[in-house]
Amino acid sequence: MAVMTYIDAINTALHEEMERDPQVFVIGEDIGRMGGAFRATKGLLDKFGSERVIDSPLSENAIISSSIGAAMAGLRPVSEIQFVDFITPAMDAITQQAAKLRYRSAGTQTCPMTIRVCYGGGVGGGLYHSQSNTSWFVHSPGLVVVAPSTPYDAKGMLKAAIRDDNPVMFFEHKKLYRSIKEEIPDADYTVPLLKAAIRRQGRDITAISYGYTLQPTLQAAEQMKKKHGIDVEVVDLRTLAPLDTDTFLESVAKTSRAVIIHEDNRTLGIGAEVSAIIAEQAFDCLDAPILRVTAPDVPLLPAAAEMEKFCVVSVEKIVTALERTMAH
Amino acid sequence: MATANDLIGNVQPNDSDVQHSKRLNATLLRRLYAYMLKCRIVEERIRTLYRQGKFAGNYFAAVGQEATSVGTTLDLLPEDTVAPSHRNFVANIMKGTPLPLMFAHLYGRKASPDQGRSAPAHCGYAPMNIITPSSTIAAQLSIGTGIALANKMQHKQNVVVALSGEGSTSLGSWHEAVNFAGVLKLPIIFVIENNGYAESLPASMQTAVEDFSIKAQGYGIPGARVDGNDVIAVYTSMRDAIDRARSGAGATLLECKTYRWYGHSEIDGAKYRDPTEVEYWMSRDPIPAMERRLKPDNLWSEQWKEELTAGFNREIDEAIAFAERSPTPQGDEALDHVYSFSIRERELDRKTWAPKYEVSI
Repeated sequence: MAVMTYIDAINTALHEEMERDPQVFVIGEDIGRMGGAFRATKGLLDKFGSERVIDSPLSENAIISSSIGAAMAGLRPVSEIQFVDFITPAMDAITQQAAKLRYRSAGTQTCPMTIRVCYGGGVGGGLYHSQSNTSWFVHSPGLVVVAPSTPYDAKGMLKAAIRDDNPVMFFEHKKLYRSIKEEIPDADYTVPLLKAAIRRQGRDITAISYGYTLQPTLQAAEQMKKKHGIDVEVVDLRTLAPLDTDTFLESVAKTSRAVIIHEDNRTLGIGAEVSAIIAEQAFDCLDAPILRVTAPDVPLLPAAAEMEKFCVVSVEKIVTALERTMAH
Repeated sequence: MATANDLIGNVQPNDSDVQHSKRLNATLLRRLYAYMLKCRIVEERIRTLYRQGKFAGNYFAAVGQEATSVGTTLDLLPEDTVAPSHRNFVANIMKGTPLPLMFAHLYGRKASPDQGRSAPAHCGYAPMNIITPSSTIAAQLSIGTGIALANKMQHKQNVVVALSGEGSTSLGSWHEAVNFAGVLKLPIIFVIENNGYAESLPASMQTAVEDFSIKAQGYGIPGARVDGNDVIAVYTSMRDAIDRARSGAGATLLECKTYRWYGHSEIDGAKYRDPTEVEYWMSRDPIPAMERRLKPDNLWSEQWKEELTAGFNREIDEAIAFAERSPTPQGDEALDHVYSFSIRERELDRKTWAPKYEVSI
């Protein structure tokens, strides 16, 4: 066992997968000589050489598109997009090519690839270094969209993503990279991609989140226990598409109340879908309206600290939503 | 006299004539001709079937462009990849997709390579490494560069031919793909089929340069422009580009100047064109032009053409009969092949989580 940060877990997973499978390669901007903007690919160039660690020309479209082709031809590309805010030039490649290739060829042409993206705000990054635009990809069937919330999951899910036969969008929140540490087994392990996790057991109310916002959600749950003696069950979606609906439905069937927390915009964020599924499939279980704690519907995130703070999820906002739901 | 099958079905593109002698011998010249004739006959039949309402959707014919269609693909091995656009249905003929499957595809039948999912003109075929096309222009170039990258990384000799119209050069992804291939020295040939029009817009409104092939200079790769209605010129230029790619020397850009006889699609009357322009290009039909080249050497006769035509028509009739008797996919097959795992249960069995009962809705 070694204690690792989230970024160490990602780096270790890449090293191990490239050692395990010669078909795995990495491609992206500044990932080789520099080791990546966040050092996720540190040491790979020295160990595996420039054939398998490709410092790409500055073109997100070429990075993703060439990964699609390479995956079609039998390789296992892991591409890195430095900030998910920069992904728009590759949107056709991701949503119209990678997502649809298997479908449009009836399973005869596929692109098993992993697209690692750094997302999220709260670090003063401004409008183009802060977004949590997971929903863009959740709305493209054919993509698996994951957002691990812990170092253990980051390593296990990255390995699972690389070994998976589908195109996987792998969302890494920049605030998680170095803020939390966890013991990681030395032995090879994977974490299944399509299964949500219960991060905290509780019987009174269900709080549903993913990625970085799990942290304030867990803190809010502790406050609810201390202040009101209320047991919050915390569900980590882990994967946003396709959703593991059973885990949160089971939880809501038990608690009868639900609050959904995410950093993305409110309208058609993942909370809208989770909320609709609960309303459709567990309406009779509910004792209170479903609430969402999200960013407002503004371009995310304004750079000035006051405005950023106004927009991002906080422990206080989550506690307020949990209290309101309990009071109903 | 050889039958159509002798010339088309059984002679593989990697025969020794092409691979070793490199001279345009009689067999090769006749194959270039026979393939052009086959492409023409197949596409004209497809257009007729469309007008008869035999299949739905639309079709994007490359009639008039056969010298380019054939000359750029004749030398490809099964392991080489074609990255086609919407107007390259006949690339399937060149690569060896069975004709019955191609017609099953037009008809949206279960037997088609994509089991009825893509539009009629979007026929890919995995066993022959033809990427199933999409409608977003130039996307195939970028995906093709990825396959070329994999070929290079795996130390294979195989090449990729990315086909696109001149309109595609107006998109950023065209330039990103060519730049990427230039930097990484990838075994890919970018073919611009300059057929004069991108839907309704003339080539002069796509770019301020007259010669599209000079765009290669911006990316450090060789570029050449050939008469896209001269199958021998296209073939020999392409052969050089393929040799370059196979030998590890990198990418090439080849512009083939040709003409689209009909509209952008079967629902486009192409009224935006000057009829004298159309007449001029029809007078430069690549098929009779090749007949005139072959005849003095006794490599072509009316009788041979009739035999070929009859053979191709028989093949097409059989392919249509296959398509017509092939079952259509069931509606719920729309749920298959979204992921490597099934989503049927998720989509079809949505249970309620009410406290005391469970029913399917």
